[in-house]
Amino acid sequence: MRPAAPTAGPNRTDPHESMPMPLDENAESDEALVAAYGRGDAAAARMLTMRLVPRAFRHAVRMLGGDRAEADDVAQEAMLRLWRSAPEWRPEARVTTWLYRVVANLCIDRLRRSTRSTGIEAAGDPADGAPGAVARLVERDRAAALETALAALPERQCEAVVLRHLEGLANPEIAEVMGIGIEAVESLTARGKRALAAALRGRREELGYDES
Amino acid sequence: MTRAEEDDDILAPFFAAGRDGPRPPETLYNLVAADAEALRPLPSPPRRQTSPLRAFIDALGGWPALAGLTTAAAAGVWIGAAAPDAVRQVAGIDAAAGYELADLMPGYLSEEF
Repeated sequence: MRPAAPTAGPNRTDPHESMPMPLDENAESDEALVAAYGRGDAAAARMLTMRLVPRAFRHAVRMLGGDRAEADDVAQEAMLRLWRSAPEWRPEARVTTWLYRVVANLCIDRLRRSTRSTGIEAAGDPADGAPGAVARLVERDRAAALETALAALPERQCEAVVLRHLEGLANPEIAEVMGIGIEAVESLTARGKRALAAALRGRREELGYDES
Repeated sequence: MTRAEEDDDILAPFFAAGRDGPRPPETLYNLVAADAEALRPLPSPPRRQTSPLRAFIDALGGWPALAGLTTAAAAGVWIGAAAPDAVRQVAGIDAAAGYELADLMPGYLSEEF
């Protein structure tokens, strides 16, 4: 992904950017913010960046088997497509549904172009010896084990399981993201969970399963 | 316990641990924000409320056209109210004499009466 020009950053201020109606960060829907950005509103872009980048990055990391560098590129590319689509955004289209779909497609393209990476980079902060550090390490190892197991799933099963059980989407929305029927979503999720459970069954004790 | 329930039991702590997910690096926020700024459409100027008078003037062609119309109307009134001698001579009218019906329709009068 191309590096952006020296950035003015999300906090740039411009006296010519005054808005007749200030946006409420919490009240505005993603769709309203995209429409506002399409009309040239810089504040809407900042809010969308803060809201959507974590989702896009998270979903890409999971789809790409933990490859954070690739996920970084995918998230930037997906957001770039959002900025380009904003002026012609259809009001009825849900932004998050669209974003998940674009991220998944970009990830699948990359996975098909290259060997799927199963390397897991260190996640989170190093242990600091503070109370709770051991518990955090256990959580981190569980998350890493889950990433590894997800990476071994077929792409569509991985996508369905991640959207359902990690992103918390309902089956109808997953069906919309993936462009399939609800029954197909249920089938993919069930098969994915079965494969995940088989992969993680042996790691229960190792990862402190019995303590939970 | 069914197979599915057993799977759920196994996966629950892993899903709980993975739900927060990795956090994007700060550099990604900056790159995305820079892209947004580079692609941001120019803000459209605020629309003015158009009054009926303004709409009428615009329909005529704007203020220049309205000025031309006003000048032409004023000239017409002036010519009619205080026709200068030059106009009378060109038109062959003696305003002081007035008009009779025969002056205007001589043929009609001669045939009927």
